[in-house]
Amino acid sequence: MSNELGTILQLFMRSLETGSVYALAALGIIIIYRTSNIVHFAQGSLGMFNTFVVTYVFLSFRLPLWASTLCGVAAAIATGFLVDFLIIRHTKKVSPLAKQIITLGLIMVFLGLAPMLFGVDPLSLPRFLQSGDFSLGIAAISHNAVLNISLGLVLMGILFYVLQKTKMGLAVRTTASNEPVARLMGVPTRRVTLAAWALAGVLGCLSGVMIAPTTTVTTSLMDAVQVNALFGCVLGGFQTFYGPVLGAYIIGVGRNFLVYYVSSIWGEQIMYLLILIFLIFRPNGLIGTKFVKKV
Amino acid sequence: MVNPHLPLAPETTTRTLSEGEALRVERLSISFGGLRAVDDLSFAVRKKEIFGLIGPNGAGKTTVFNCITQFYRPDEGSVFFSVWKNGTEEVVNLVGKPVHSIIGLGLVRTFQNVEVIQELSLLENVLIGAHIDFKATILEQAFKLPRARREERSFQKKAEEALTFLGIADRKNLPAGGQPYGVLKKVELARTLMANPRLIILDEPAAGLNDNETQDLVSIIRQIRDAYDCTILLVEHDMRLVMGVCDRICAISFGKFLACDVPEEIKRNKLVQEAYLGEEEA
Amino acid sequence: MNERNDSSLANAKPALWKNPYLGFILFGLLISTLPLFAGWGLMKNSTLNYIGSVLVYTVAALGLNLLLGYAGLISLGTAGFMGLGSYIAAYVTKDMGMSFWAAAAAAVLIPTLIGLLIGLVSLRIEGIYLAIATLCVSEILLKSFEQADSITGGMQGKSVSYPVIFGHTFNRSTTYLLLVVVLTLVMILTHNFVNGHKGRALHAMRGSEVAAQAMGVNLLQYRLIAFSLATAYSALSGVLYVFFVKFSYPSVWNLTLSLLVLAAVVIGGLRSIYGTVVGAFVVWAVPDLILKNIPVLGRINGLPYIFNGILIILVVMFAPQGISGLWQAKFARKKKERENGKEAE
Repeated sequence: MSNELGTILQLFMRSLETGSVYALAALGIIIIYRTSNIVHFAQGSLGMFNTFVVTYVFLSFRLPLWASTLCGVAAAIATGFLVDFLIIRHTKKVSPLAKQIITLGLIMVFLGLAPMLFGVDPLSLPRFLQSGDFSLGIAAISHNAVLNISLGLVLMGILFYVLQKTKMGLAVRTTASNEPVARLMGVPTRRVTLAAWALAGVLGCLSGVMIAPTTTVTTSLMDAVQVNALFGCVLGGFQTFYGPVLGAYIIGVGRNFLVYYVSSIWGEQIMYLLILIFLIFRPNGLIGTKFVKKV
Repeated sequence: MVNPHLPLAPETTTRTLSEGEALRVERLSISFGGLRAVDDLSFAVRKKEIFGLIGPNGAGKTTVFNCITQFYRPDEGSVFFSVWKNGTEEVVNLVGKPVHSIIGLGLVRTFQNVEVIQELSLLENVLIGAHIDFKATILEQAFKLPRARREERSFQKKAEEALTFLGIADRKNLPAGGQPYGVLKKVELARTLMANPRLIILDEPAAGLNDNETQDLVSIIRQIRDAYDCTILLVEHDMRLVMGVCDRICAISFGKFLACDVPEEIKRNKLVQEAYLGEEEA
Repeated sequence: MNERNDSSLANAKPALWKNPYLGFILFGLLISTLPLFAGWGLMKNSTLNYIGSVLVYTVAALGLNLLLGYAGLISLGTAGFMGLGSYIAAYVTKDMGMSFWAAAAAAVLIPTLIGLLIGLVSLRIEGIYLAIATLCVSEILLKSFEQADSITGGMQGKSVSYPVIFGHTFNRSTTYLLLVVVLTLVMILTHNFVNGHKGRALHAMRGSEVAAQAMGVNLLQYRLIAFSLATAYSALSGVLYVFFVKFSYPSVWNLTLSLLVLAAVVIGGLRSIYGTVVGAFVVWAVPDLILKNIPVLGRINGLPYIFNGILIILVVMFAPQGISGLWQAKFARKKKERENGKEAE
């Protein structure tokens, strides 16, 4: 019995770690959605590219992992700036559909840039903390997992604090609710959007660095993260900032439990099916309210 | 493929229209975020009449139209409409019916800002009005089987007749994009005629037209009523048009009923005058 | 049904060709002569194979163009449905020993039904959900291709022989001709469809949702029609693929392929049939047949993706109507110049 409990607890801990990765990516997607009205399909690809930067710096210049990660964060900010500066800024008059197509184009650009700059061979990235476990009596959790979970929670805590309590957060929220009005009211929407793209890039890079040690660094590194983060947004609803984060954690937990208890092969697929079914009953997500369409 | 317009759902069709009435709006109300746009409004339109709905800016006229045609779902009230079904006349309540099923009942509308498809030719725009009468399947169309060809031919003829009726047949193959506003308004009218309407709802038909075109419109509306044997309900700002063409008029203000009478009486009605004066002062 | 009446509809068609079918048939004849060049040694066999696969992808792109161009919806499941079509076709002919026709019918119908189901779930909600739902379905399908060994051959993939139709065993050249015939037919049928009343209803829906609804167009129903057609075209494209390439691997049917099909549609031009063909050649043939042969530049890894990615973004930003739009604008300008010239005389 306690063994069973131990397994559940262990699974739950691991799910929190997976959930953190999805949640960071989902937060990036929702920040872009709310400030630029774009469903950011390239969040994963940007994250993948910047994780390549981290890995490349780590392997080639033999910098410590934290320093490499900082380089990656810097690269993420730069790529975020570039995407906004070169493309998004010039698409004010473009339809939401076309903007979405732009992010699909971005996927291809980064899919090509990564092998161009870093080669086609799979690379590997170690964990921050190589070894060490915390024992929780019936379950154990690695130091690295605790670090990842806390990093995720702390980052999100800071972001939500900034969003809710600071002037900058107010600017973001005003832009999110109505960009043209916000601009008229003197909110620097351009700077808000620029910052949003940089921030999304950083969140993508960090989720990439977290997931990388569990697999190899290739162009498909973030495929599952992207899909799960998008589903987190769907599950949580696109109308709030915290909904997608909640959705991402639920998906992290649901996925790991399904993989362990139902099917190691089909677990994730079953999860996707369940979400599709969920959509029938709550099309606007857990926290979403109904869109009112104007005629 | 589900045929979206017929047959009608079984309906408890109690007698809710009086003899000779085509449409009755009964105690209609709708609110948007606390604001009562239409408030307990009732009026009835008689068959074959040209009926005007007037009111100062923001009186909720277009909202009433949207509630009748089910673009909006009213909070309360009913919209009774007389339809032909299997050769007999029946009364249905439009409230709650899907938007796209309304035209199948013989009720068709135009829009305040003309809604035509820029890339399509005038003829093709008019043909869209016959959408629900096309029966050919996707495959029949893709392979141009006889039924698809036959349908296309006969409806094209009908569309050309409608365009000729409105005097714009010479432009039928030109794309709608780039045509003058007056022509596009006529295209919208022609499109409504394709649906064998029993009631046509015109949302500000004279908006954006010059004096000559407005004069022209008065006779066109009468001709449509006579030639196509239907009832016409219109919302209009241009008072000369309303007074000139309507048999009866219903005036509303802030979503509430003011008066319903023949044009001369409406002109003399104190409530109506106050409502309009209030607007001029503001 | 005269040609003037058609000219405003088929944006893709230059006014030179009076009969719309003539253009499609000429196009078909033109590309069907390519094996001759290969036979004379003027073209590498691998190039011919490559062009064949571009024709296959074009079929899927024509379907996606109906969805994106008319319903304004994105599907990221194109590759998944293509894969599903290819595996079903392979399974029905090879494992069940049934005819080409049975295989083609099953391979188109089953994915279309699945698509219909997904459409019903996701299209009731506005906008973005179809893209996300199809993304998820393509992930599920991809995993199934890898895992369902007994049907798909798993990671090793599944092989088939060239098709046998009416007792005639096809070879590479004749299968290529089959592709050309099917593509030409699909172009003609698509042309008829978009110019028929259902195509007009789709046009109306795109141009003005409210007008379409008032005229009796059921938006959900027509979005479903567009998505089902896109799915059916994808599945058909998968069938053609497996009989031409004679192999189907899971790794072929990934998200990247779906994105490339999307790129072909956007670059070629929405709602344009010829544009889609040109778009497909730009997306697949230009990087592989031209860019690869440029010294130095051609050896850069990932170049095709960068090329297409940047192109798609540039097109969306600066030429929303794609190549067909640019072509038409040029055509219109020339015509105007000619008319002005006449007036000057």
